[in-house]
Amino acid sequence: MKRAVRATLLFLAAVVTLFPFYAMLVLSFKPIGPVSLPGSLLPSGLSLEAYDQVLGTASLARWLVNTAVYAIISVIGVLALSMLAGYAFAKKRFPGKETMFWSFVAMLMVPYHVTLIPLFILIADWGGVDTYWGLIIPTLANAQAVFLMRQFISTLPDELFEAARLDGCGELRILWSLVLPLTKPIMATLGVFVFLWHWNDYLWPLVIGQSEEMRTLTVGIASLQAERVPLNVVMAGSVVAFVPIFMAYLIGQRYFVEGVTTTGMKG
Amino acid sequence: MTTTASARERAATTAPARKRAGARWREARPGLLLVLPAFALFVLFRFGPAIAGGVLSFTDYTIGGETEWTGLANFDRLVHDDRFWDALRVTVIYSVLAVPGSIIVALGMAMLVRRTFRGVRLFRSIFFLPVVTSLVLAGVIFSWIFSEDGPWSSLLRAVGFEGGSWLADSVLVLPALVVVSIWTRFGYGMLIILARLQDIPRELEEAAHVDGAGSWQTFRHIILPQLKPALFFLGVLETTVAFQAFDTIWVMTGGGPARASRTLVIELYEQGFRNFDQDYAATIGVALFVMTLVVALIQRLIMGRDK
Repeated sequence: MKRAVRATLLFLAAVVTLFPFYAMLVLSFKPIGPVSLPGSLLPSGLSLEAYDQVLGTASLARWLVNTAVYAIISVIGVLALSMLAGYAFAKKRFPGKETMFWSFVAMLMVPYHVTLIPLFILIADWGGVDTYWGLIIPTLANAQAVFLMRQFISTLPDELFEAARLDGCGELRILWSLVLPLTKPIMATLGVFVFLWHWNDYLWPLVIGQSEEMRTLTVGIASLQAERVPLNVVMAGSVVAFVPIFMAYLIGQRYFVEGVTTTGMKG
Repeated sequence: MTTTASARERAATTAPARKRAGARWREARPGLLLVLPAFALFVLFRFGPAIAGGVLSFTDYTIGGETEWTGLANFDRLVHDDRFWDALRVTVIYSVLAVPGSIIVALGMAMLVRRTFRGVRLFRSIFFLPVVTSLVLAGVIFSWIFSEDGPWSSLLRAVGFEGGSWLADSVLVLPALVVVSIWTRFGYGMLIILARLQDIPRELEEAAHVDGAGSWQTFRHIILPQLKPALFFLGVLETTVAFQAFDTIWVMTGGGPARASRTLVIELYEQGFRNFDQDYAATIGVALFVMTLVVALIQRLIMGRDK
């Protein structure tokens, strides 16, 4: 009896959770036209018309490229910078170390939106509006990544680095053949999260990418919706934006889960 | 590292002062160089703008024009601005509904999937899927679900409720947006709670059962107290998320109908990028920061008292 209740609840919850995805998928494969219920939600009379239109007329391909550039370069940049800084904070001695580290941590408390206006003014002043660098570079300053990387490297034994130094390894050599391989687990978790965050980011690309060519997928699809493009076409665009994240989720699910629990740990 | 460092220090104390400074620099240089790139970006794009945001709120600024000190004029305007108070009210109502909502759903779902059974991993994956979905996509899909001819309105009409889309109703728009917020957030809370549930020793619950406690009593007196730190963490985090809500609401209603769903961040965005009143937008940012601090402080105090 109890098991039956639990199973029913689980099933209902799964249906409610999945319904929006199902609706998106089915509507995207329907011929362009008025939507009527429940007919439009049944998987029959499917067509690729909406995809034809969204790939043909809207700049969806360009938005896909922009999003990929934004997400991939940011992941590489954030990982590299936070590995270097995290290693220094964890294992090096230099003046001002504590002050610098705690200023990173303190900024985790400041809402992103407080910095939005001055950041935009600065980037606009430097001519970064509607450019890739204006979009990407400011987001490379990721305090949380530095913090997590430092916490992780702190747990690695000092003797390892000591031994390498005694063997005559320079700092670059230590970074390349010691820090890089040892931080792989945290790199994977962090990488997945930074990728996800940038792929789905909306507000910053919205204020920086002002021409149609510089939109990311999120900005582009929101603009399709605002321009009253037929629902089927908007949904087709949404599916295109969703598939890469969904694939990444299927492949790297372990890292998603670990990412949540490690970032959750900091509280 | 400690052995050579102390050896170096010993050597340094016997060496002349000039050499000592050189040695210290040699030791400090690699660390400084490694931190420099991240720190420079951080100062330029996070720390600097945060300070500048504070400064900007005390000025009258126009793009390409002159900047004038105006003291507290922006804050004076803020406290007399109906738009601001409306946005604050909307943000608070939205948060008061969305934060407990998502935590309660997360808790319920975590209890449902905590034991292993066939297919449990699949269910966990399904419930986490909305978390990885972009908020814009969630907004686009739910706009349709809540629209006049969408499934939700049709369902309500089928069971006899009158009325159109919730998104066009100045009262029901917030509950609709809260539903979307819960859908996008509960999977995250579920995973945090699950991680904590796994640390609760089985013996505790078994002992309670032996003593004749029912499921509800076990949950209330054994499990819930153990979950307190996790729930507190979620409370702080979800409040921050709710206070900064923008993406789904901007996509679904643009803050409407009228001002019924205009949150603080939407107000900030409109002032900064529609009205180009950027010093005033920065002032709203400062207000947002202060409120985040106050809420975090209150939550910390409540938590401290319970201990």
